[in-house]
Amino acid sequence: MVDKKALRVALVGRPNTGKSSLFNRLTGLSQKVGNYPGVTMEKRTGLIKLAPGVLAEIIDLPGIYSLHPSSPDEQVVMDSFLNENVDEKIDVVIGLADGTNLKTCLFVFTQIIDLGIPAVLAVTMSDEMERKGMELDVLGLSESLGVPITLVNGRLGHGIKELQDNILTASVSQNIPFFQPGGLHLEWINKVSEDKNFDIPYKSWLFGLRGSEYEELISSTGKTIARARADEAIKRYRRVNEWLREFFVTHPGKDRRWTARLDRWAVNPFWGSIILLILMFLLFQALFFGSEAPMNFIDDQFAQLSNILKSNLPNGFLSHLITNGIIPGIAGVLIFIPQIAILFGLISLLEESGYMSRVVFIMDRFMRPFGLSGKSVVPMVSGTACAIPAIMSTRNMENSREKWLSIAVAPLITCAARLPVYALLISLVIPDQTFFGLSLRGLVLFSLYMIGFFAALLGSAALNKIMPEAQSNPFLLEMPSYRFPQLRNVGHAIINRTKSFVTEAGKIILAISVVLWFFASFGPGKTPDFTQDYEAIPIEDSYVGKMGKAIEPVMKPLGFDWKVSIAVLSSFVAREVFVGTMATLYSVDDNEKSSIREQMAKQKDPETGEPYFNLAVGVSLLLFYAFAMQCMSTYAVVARETRSHKFAAIQFLILGILAYGASFLSYSILA
Amino acid sequence: MYLSDLKIGQKAIVLQASISLPVKLYEMGCMPGEEIELNYAAPFSGPMCFLVQGTLISMRKELAQLVPITEPNVKSLTNG
Repeated sequence: MVDKKALRVALVGRPNTGKSSLFNRLTGLSQKVGNYPGVTMEKRTGLIKLAPGVLAEIIDLPGIYSLHPSSPDEQVVMDSFLNENVDEKIDVVIGLADGTNLKTCLFVFTQIIDLGIPAVLAVTMSDEMERKGMELDVLGLSESLGVPITLVNGRLGHGIKELQDNILTASVSQNIPFFQPGGLHLEWINKVSEDKNFDIPYKSWLFGLRGSEYEELISSTGKTIARARADEAIKRYRRVNEWLREFFVTHPGKDRRWTARLDRWAVNPFWGSIILLILMFLLFQALFFGSEAPMNFIDDQFAQLSNILKSNLPNGFLSHLITNGIIPGIAGVLIFIPQIAILFGLISLLEESGYMSRVVFIMDRFMRPFGLSGKSVVPMVSGTACAIPAIMSTRNMENSREKWLSIAVAPLITCAARLPVYALLISLVIPDQTFFGLSLRGLVLFSLYMIGFFAALLGSAALNKIMPEAQSNPFLLEMPSYRFPQLRNVGHAIINRTKSFVTEAGKIILAISVVLWFFASFGPGKTPDFTQDYEAIPIEDSYVGKMGKAIEPVMKPLGFDWKVSIAVLSSFVAREVFVGTMATLYSVDDNEKSSIREQMAKQKDPETGEPYFNLAVGVSLLLFYAFAMQCMSTYAVVARETRSHKFAAIQFLILGILAYGASFLSYSILA
Repeated sequence: MYLSDLKIGQKAIVLQASISLPVKLYEMGCMPGEEIELNYAAPFSGPMCFLVQGTLISMRKELAQLVPITEPNVKSLTNG
């Protein structure tokens, strides 16, 4: 709950300036993760007590290079500052400046104080400055800027108290503006000020230069928007350079030594690729195997809970709903936590250390033909474990085009849930032979992985062609200095991501799983017997069964009979459900205690009398599972990350059509 | 001369471009009059990483081909 009277304090600065450390220090566990209206960007806030009776809501704005937006992140920040709504107006700004990279940080900070907002400056990395032999005349710079400066150390928590005191007394700098838009521009600036009721000319300057609304008027001055922005940058840097000459002493040799040394390996064409390969392999291993034990634990605990409740609750609809619908649904949400926690812990380590930018740098050339950049490597690798964390990891991508492309194709990557289905079908229809000394079954499995991987890359390339060219967002990437990751920040990243998954995507997953439970447990005119000895209705009589039978004619060209159709439908819960549904369906027919595989192998085609699961049906099914988005959790997470059920629904449809097409084609050829 | 012509370790001064370059370049610190050094480059004409105004900035080669610079200084030529 946010108190109306709470001071709204925004943290603003360039990326990699230790902003999250400071935010975590200031807010501790009181932080909340929300969203900016209309965009998929995460908004972190925290309510703290600054002084007796004074509450402050700390808002962690995205990192920016300039107030003029070139990216969605910067758009969000500018919108926050131009917002004149009393309830959303920012009262005080904490500007962040990395003490080892003051120049570019002060550039942004002067833009912010020119908006006429009370401000304080926090200079971070003070320990590193000392180590590198840098000296800053804090008082001198503070006087020139007209705002108080605090040296802070997010790692140790130094300077936090002083910073809080400065927020309380913060005022608008007396020395602004540091950049005054010139005479030529006055006419259109006045027009914007009148139209929008801005009290500060610099606000009008920002607003006018941001888009097409005033473009004509601006170009009548003989200058383009780009030229005007470039002029501002040049003038501001000139000012900042003057200050630094006066107040800052550095010994260039000492600076960047470690970063340069590490980069010699990290971005070396040969060693860099090997290091990246090893790290990505470890990430995959951690995700795939590290999550196994905790996932089994969650599974077992909920199965036990369900059993305990079953034996203790009175028989009836409600207890059935709880034990078979809701509890498995909750388990279905929580089961993803180990993977999400592991992946975000690792991503956070990569980002915190500064290595993530190197990943982008190395991989950019290879991902570019597909419309992706180096950052898409992480979702691609994570996707081999599970699409859920993979799609969530796109949150760390600023370029929204690549982000949407990555989300669109991530479900095609072969995830762990497909393995049980693949294993069952391959052992059923692929003979146990060797091919040039290699296991044929192994080769088929490998091919399925490759199909998934190439389908994702080609799909992205195709979408990239179709998608309208957005405003060109140049690939400009800062390579931050290497830093030792702070465990506090890694911990916060894990907690925040997990929380937002459980509370947001979790809701959708739980709702869908209860609906699917209903469709599987009830049928038209059929209700399971809820008395003493609970007996489920046969699956073919349930709604899912009826639907499976109803779509049989549609599935026939793929070689699927009604049983397979039911299994395909019910595996929308999760792909591996296919195996369980097959077991249920066939144990009805056959009372012999034999494995699912053997029972399936025994099935005969009623028309020919030959085994039903032949190569044609098997390959058709395999391809269907390779392409189809058979996973409600993926749907939920896509809808959540893109803020659009439409996107998720269209994706579901297109991947469904792809699956149908691939199965149809293979069945037509092989049957 | 353009940024893309620099060899690793070479330094030059950024010149005023006659065409309009992405303003983000200026705002990140890469602007006319500043000294710039090629620190490293990715293989197969991948991105190039420059040190300018104390910041390491990576850009694709296409963009580097548009940024005019002075002749690289001779001292670094012998070093690089």
